[in-house]
Amino acid sequence: MFKPMVIVVLLATGAAVLGGVGATGGPASSPSQSTPAQEAWQKEFDDICSKTQDAMTFSQAELTALISRCDALQPLIEKLDETRKKVYLGRLRMCRGLYAYVLDSKKKNEKK
Amino acid sequence: MHMCSTQKRRTKRNERGHLLFVLICAVFFLTARGSGQIYLPPPPPEQPSDYGKVILDNFSSTAGPGPVVFDHWLHRARFTCRLCHVDIGFAMQAKATGITASTNRQGFHCGACHDGKRSFEGKPVFAACSDDTNGKECNRCHSLGKKDVRKYSYQAFTAKLPKGTYGVDWKAAESEGKIKPVDFLEGISVKRAPMQTRQDFSIKAALAWVHPIVFSHEKHSIWNGCELCHLEIFPTALKETVRNSMFLNIEGRNCGACHGKVAFPLNACSQCHSRGPDWVR
Repeated sequence: MFKPMVIVVLLATGAAVLGGVGATGGPASSPSQSTPAQEAWQKEFDDICSKTQDAMTFSQAELTALISRCDALQPLIEKLDETRKKVYLGRLRMCRGLYAYVLDSKKKNEKK
Repeated sequence: MHMCSTQKRRTKRNERGHLLFVLICAVFFLTARGSGQIYLPPPPPEQPSDYGKVILDNFSSTAGPGPVVFDHWLHRARFTCRLCHVDIGFAMQAKATGITASTNRQGFHCGACHDGKRSFEGKPVFAACSDDTNGKECNRCHSLGKKDVRKYSYQAFTAKLPKGTYGVDWKAAESEGKIKPVDFLEGISVKRAPMQTRQDFSIKAALAWVHPIVFSHEKHSIWNGCELCHLEIFPTALKETVRNSMFLNIEGRNCGACHGKVAFPLNACSQCHSRGPDWVR
């Protein structure tokens, strides 16, 4: 009766120790490691930038919304560590740039 | 079969036309910038293996292992331009990326692929700037001025690839299925819908007597994605308002952002001006 309890406690302690090592011992900003807050920005980033292939099919309102989402995401990325910030700000700038380009193109074509 | 005299005359006229076109181009480049200053597209390196070679030495010399030699030919045969320059974040300007041994170890830049965990074509990919290395692996990249440390030779690697007037004809290599550049890296790339076919279009040449260029939008968008060129290289949305000029290309703008550095050289005129001057039919 007592033995299984000890095993459970030992397993739980072991898991906690291992988890701690993983969180502190690995590379600080390995792309594979992320906290929930980081996951949130990453999810938003992935969602925004996964649509670049379809940029030409979006309406002006959709493109404007995507550009606004890029602008809202930027301050979150700016809080990341130096390397991650540089890489993801560059990628975000490219996504935003493309949406802005297509929006501009659609506006100009409309005026024609 | 005998060529009729009209055809013969037309062929001769076309040959003369092309020769005249080349001469006019030469004179134009030599004199257009005034004061007799030579302003030709710089010729590519004598050896195609040196074309697109990048020497990286932000910190390597001071840190010890010496400058890195990066060969575009080796990587472009395997990956799209977009994968490295968009997803991984390699800038297209010198010294703008900020690669360090530390960023590589963290899984960025070269370390995005070279992490010691990934494999490619069934072979493990070595870890860049790993602490575990015995120094042998360092020399694979930090190879400037070192003999027999590179794993791949251009001649052997490109032996079976189709050749153009200068080095490998990458477009043909891809069309013939000899290379299949990868465009997705697990954990780095964003999952996206497949690229829709983009319509090729013609670009009016700045000179009235030159045929329009047929721009392969399809090929460019497959290799580069949309966001590598728009907005940063081609910021204007309407193609009629894009300022096209060979001078801008030579300065590294517009097409010159890639052509003349990595993509086929700017003095391979017929690759874009495939129909030559206007009087050649």
